[in-house]
Amino acid sequence: MLKYFVKRVVGIIPILIIVSVLIFLFVHMIPGDPARLVAGPDASYQDIELVREQLGLNESLPSQYFSFVGNIFQGDLGTSLKTKRPVFDELATRFMPTFWLSVWSMAWAVLIGLLIGVISATNRNNWKDYLGMFGAVSGISLPSFWLGLMLIQLFSVKLGWFPTGGLDSWKSYVLPSLTLGAGVAAVIARFTRSSLMDILKEDYVRTGRAKGLRERKIVWDHSLKNALIPVVTMTGLQFGFLLGGSIVIETVFSWPGLGRLLIDSVSFRDYPVIQACMLLFALEFILINLVVDLLYGVMNPQIKYE
Amino acid sequence: MSENLLDINHLKTHFFSDEGVVRAVDGVSISIKKGETVGIVGESGCGKSVTSLSVMRLLKDTPGKIVDGTIEFDGKNLLDVSEGEMRAIRGNDIAMIFQEPMTSLNPVFKIGKQIQEAVELHLKYDKKKARQHVIDMLDSVGIPRANEIVDEYPHQLSGGMRQRVMIAMAMACKPKLLIADEPTTALDVTIQAQILELMKKLKEEEETAIMLITHDLGVVAEMCDRVVVMYAGKVVEEASVYDLFDNPQHPYTKGLLASVPKMRQNVKRLGSIQGNVPSPDDLPVGCKFAPRCPAAMTICWEKEPELEDHKQGRCRCWLYDSELVKEV
Repeated sequence: MLKYFVKRVVGIIPILIIVSVLIFLFVHMIPGDPARLVAGPDASYQDIELVREQLGLNESLPSQYFSFVGNIFQGDLGTSLKTKRPVFDELATRFMPTFWLSVWSMAWAVLIGLLIGVISATNRNNWKDYLGMFGAVSGISLPSFWLGLMLIQLFSVKLGWFPTGGLDSWKSYVLPSLTLGAGVAAVIARFTRSSLMDILKEDYVRTGRAKGLRERKIVWDHSLKNALIPVVTMTGLQFGFLLGGSIVIETVFSWPGLGRLLIDSVSFRDYPVIQACMLLFALEFILINLVVDLLYGVMNPQIKYE
Repeated sequence: MSENLLDINHLKTHFFSDEGVVRAVDGVSISIKKGETVGIVGESGCGKSVTSLSVMRLLKDTPGKIVDGTIEFDGKNLLDVSEGEMRAIRGNDIAMIFQEPMTSLNPVFKIGKQIQEAVELHLKYDKKKARQHVIDMLDSVGIPRANEIVDEYPHQLSGGMRQRVMIAMAMACKPKLLIADEPTTALDVTIQAQILELMKKLKEEEETAIMLITHDLGVVAEMCDRVVVMYAGKVVEEASVYDLFDNPQHPYTKGLLASVPKMRQNVKRLGSIQGNVPSPDDLPVGCKFAPRCPAAMTICWEKEPELEDHKQGRCRCWLYDSELVKEV
């Protein structure tokens, strides 16, 4: 197990190198001139050239890449072209709101999704199932900006329970995380339902019943433990997407998160920030995959890590 | 009646689907005495498994419903008791072994835990005592290193070992009745013999009655005291194992016996019953076996015979009908 873990962690390095090259190239293919943006609209040709020189944009692509990577190893992600602050600080202040928002959303989604999934699977084709799946389809198909606006309209404007946006207290998390979690909950519910329905047909479920176990124990313990194995993978991926920050939700709720940072950086051609964001997203996905794989081993005893 | 441990009376279990009603079990009566082994024989789809699942009331995940009849067990009609009482009987007074040892154990739980659950539930042992009981049970079904195997997962064991685990699980609470649904069908021949030997041994030690469902007449000859032959959801013949093998009455039973290879008998071709089991939603009007019966008469096509007592048991066939025989 430990050996497997070390192997997987070492395996991350080549992936990160490839990812960093790809990100670097993609960012430089974005049309537009950052030097012109930094220098301002009234800058003369000479000023722009000077800025270009300062930013190192005149150097060849490989040498730009190596200085980019070299700086990363020194903990320096560069300086934002827009705010002139270190990129690391930019990311750090934006990461935590997104991270906690993702955790909240995921907590809702798992709780509600599992509950609906299990109720639907055990009440197949009766009104509870139909109601649950109606909810799930709604959760997937409602546009999140619309859901967000409706929640704001009801809970902030009419009832005044939660703020309309921004991040001040725990109350600020409620509406955006519900909005963000709705889609994920719906996916989890559908996955759980179909997975659990398959498991409930298994012979060992009948064995459990023949033993005299309670139906509740058979469903929530014996069956769900098997049914969750595919659900965990999907949930991990969803969490990865959430950690990337949601541009729509962050815009609707004026959330100081990564999604808005990224979109602002793209429109400003803020190369260092864009690169750092993308690297961070890649790293997040790699780590989540690792955690999911390790969880697999815990959940499914048939998997042995060599 | 009181000497019978299990009395199934006119049990009717029907399956309801959009295409119509399938009478999987259609008026079956079977009784089993204490400590007796009764074989239930028939081709696939004759209703033998559904009968056993009806006794356990485990039809929940099928479209099947018990529509008529009674199942008296130990003086109680199992069809009247609440689900809670039924749970207290399942795995405790009546235990069951299934055909597929490979898929009948939960892959994510250790073997010990799976047996221990039933022990803690029914015998109310504490964890430590229950675990020791499980190890003793595994030991008694011939599992080597029982104290290590108890902490292994099902996928680490072979099919024969898993079936032994299933037997240990079934026998753990000393049931009065063990229902074994094709317990050896999925196993190698050598393992089959071992499992049958084991079931015999346990039966003698614990005086457990066994309802053995099989299509393998060799297994029946080996294990059973009495045999019930089923065809298309009905009992067609019932007799002691000796009478049935020596002097089968029903043409279907005769056909089944003719299709079994025998020692010291030099035949070029094994007998077979022509035709197929009739589709359950398109059963013949008269005797359900008439289309395949070599001795079919006109009446067989018109009217279904009753299951009548005769000298060595019961038989459902016009050939032995008391009134018809008198007329001839």
